[in-house]
Amino acid sequence: MNRAVRVEWWKLKRSPVTVTATALMVILLPTMALGFYSVAQQGGTGPLAQKAGAFLIGEGWEGYLGAVDQIAAAAMFLGTGFVVAWTFGREHTDRTFPSLFALPVSRTSIAGAKFLVLAGWITLLSLLVVAVSLGIGVAAGVGPIQTAVIGPALLRLLAISLSTSMLSLTIGLVASVGRGYLPAVGALILIVVAAQMSVLFGIGGWFPFAIPGLIAVSGSEGAPVLIPMQIALVPIATAVGLWFTVRWWRRAEAV
Amino acid sequence: MTATDLPPLVAEGLVRRFDGEPAVDEIDLEVRRGEIHAVVGLNGAGKTTLMRLLLGMLKPDAGRAIVLGFEAAVAPSQVWAEVGHLIETPFAYPELTVEENIAAAGLLHGLDRSQIPIMVGQAVEEFGLGRWSGKRARSLSLGNRQRLGIAAAMVHRPSILVLDEPANALDPAGVVFIRDLLKAYAERDAAILVSSHHFDELARIADRITVLHRGCHVGNLDPSGVDLEKRFFDLVYGADLAIRDGSR
Repeated sequence: MNRAVRVEWWKLKRSPVTVTATALMVILLPTMALGFYSVAQQGGTGPLAQKAGAFLIGEGWEGYLGAVDQIAAAAMFLGTGFVVAWTFGREHTDRTFPSLFALPVSRTSIAGAKFLVLAGWITLLSLLVVAVSLGIGVAAGVGPIQTAVIGPALLRLLAISLSTSMLSLTIGLVASVGRGYLPAVGALILIVVAAQMSVLFGIGGWFPFAIPGLIAVSGSEGAPVLIPMQIALVPIATAVGLWFTVRWWRRAEAV
Repeated sequence: MTATDLPPLVAEGLVRRFDGEPAVDEIDLEVRRGEIHAVVGLNGAGKTTLMRLLLGMLKPDAGRAIVLGFEAAVAPSQVWAEVGHLIETPFAYPELTVEENIAAAGLLHGLDRSQIPIMVGQAVEEFGLGRWSGKRARSLSLGNRQRLGIAAAMVHRPSILVLDEPANALDPAGVVFIRDLLKAYAERDAAILVSSHHFDELARIADRITVLHRGCHVGNLDPSGVDLEKRFFDLVYGADLAIRDGSR
């Protein structure tokens, strides 16, 4: 497994897809949230100001980091999902999949190694998003620095970033079965739409991919209260996706 | 014959169908130590499918693919550490440099981490990739990607080699280089299975030539005989006539 982890790490860190996705998520998420926050703070009666106002939950740090939470719940699923789709799908698109057969390192180990390095990257990325969000908030002076307010809000952002990104690992199954990254990108978009629909129909709490978004709006007016069983669906869905992906890799043929 | 008496690479009555059509139909084949065994055939003859079956990339519908005495589907990692292969696309990840690609192949082929720098250095030099060693594979020409693919397949000094059209995209110097390399490997007791379309090339390197046509083994060619191309087409057209007459 160590050998496969090393090779997969080289591939991931050298990939332009990973570098671009990391930069976009780390910079754009807090910047966009700050944009919404600033527009809402300025007030006004324009449609943008009204939308930004409706988007924010609370004032100061709570409002700004709440905006990061909501953007992260969807954008990080898509952003990390693109990288997951590429990591598994590229072996088919670049036709390197047959090279991963007839080796002393099993394909189970290779698929496991892909998940391990992706999980490591997701953890680093989530920490970076939290750190940069804090930095941008301080630089923009969104409010007085109170550990009692900022601490729990940052922890919540970390939990949302990690859970939505870890859920995107399940996309590896679509990229594997679909033998390419395009089917996986299609699935990513479908899942985001399905998550929105599930929330609209009031069943979002039972759809794992909607849960990070619901955590992001928890505490706001009309938001459903999640029970522990619903939150547990996030790691359960992730684990099921990983298991099926590794199983596919163990049984797959290089057709 | 016991497992230890078997040649390193054996196909026993291998059958594989795609959508009901046989791509490989009851093929028997052996690759012995110290031998270069070539499979030749027109496009779609079943050469690559046969190689994929022997490497466990495909599961046979019938028959057995045996590598060092083990069925390919259940061969342990020690068996695969003895095998090097290049099937269709070279092991060349575009974002990795030439050296990183060879190191990655070495790790996946079972080399110890401590051996990697030495083996990579040797492979880069042996395969004439020194000028490009720090360059990303995406910037390589097709021929150099093929060289890189063969270097990646051989970095761990395998005793069994399965190469699908190894001379693909190589310039004349590259073709001569691969020819000499394979001969040297065979002299060191390696078992080598190659596919090719180039009869001139086959005549120079192969010890045995198996002719495949429409998934079937339709005959053998003597590499030392004259006019390989004519004898190949005689076999292929003969097989076509037999199919038309219903005798095959």
